[in-house]
Amino acid sequence: MTEREALVEEAAGAWRPASPGQVRPHPAWADLEPAGRLEAYEITCVLRRLEAALDPQGLSTTARAVLARISG
Amino acid sequence: MPESAELAGEDLLLDGIRAGDQMSFARWLSLSEGRLRGSLRPFAARVDVEAVLQESLVRVWQVTPRFVPDGRPDALLRLAIRIARNLAVSELRRNRIDLVDPEFLERALADAERLTSGPDSGSDPILRQAIEECRRTLPRKPADAIQARIESGGAEPDAVLADRLGMRRNTFLQNITRARRLLAACLRRRGIDVASELA
Repeated sequence: MTEREALVEEAAGAWRPASPGQVRPHPAWADLEPAGRLEAYEITCVLRRLEAALDPQGLSTTARAVLARISG
Repeated sequence: MPESAELAGEDLLLDGIRAGDQMSFARWLSLSEGRLRGSLRPFAARVDVEAVLQESLVRVWQVTPRFVPDGRPDALLRLAIRIARNLAVSELRRNRIDLVDPEFLERALADAERLTSGPDSGSDPILRQAIEECRRTLPRKPADAIQARIESGGAEPDAVLADRLGMRRNTFLQNITRARRLLAACLRRRGIDVASELA
């Protein structure tokens, strides 16, 4: 796996640095060029649906991250 | 998730969310996330859509108690799209990307107004069953890697998950890639094109 491929896969994950009230990009996303960012986006679209299908409550990791944030 | 939420229509979900019911919000998320993410596609090369999406959804939760629906379908989703789009534009401006291409913004905003109909296809029970059956065929390490991400729910970076599994970061990410590709291939053998079915 090349470093670029690793960055794309990492940026497609749901974890983001904590920053209440602000948008903080994933460091891996920040290191990618526009084409790599698009790839990460396309992978994310599919990955979230797969994750949701595998989650007992049908929630993606994005949904889980948001629910954790609003729960404080 | 409560049975009532599973059967709920948008109005019932909205009532629950406005009353501060996180289960209703969770159910709404499961039905709306894909369409909301899709509305941000024009921004994907320029802003971190995942970060924008998460912050937008937190803001949707915060403003919904004061939200008055307009009576048209998908009222809350349309509000969420407006919030997300405005946040994406703010990010473009913060990064001074708006100076590059004024036409881009106009095009992106017009695209974001388009709303695909119907709930996310990931909520289709037959599709969910096929994905679950394919998951059972995964080799152990790819299965462990994707399971670690699901269990973490976006709370921890991949380096932490990799460490917990005794993998190096690159190995962990390789296993995520492998899991994703194997699931897609398994679904294709069942006549399901992941890109179109899950888009």
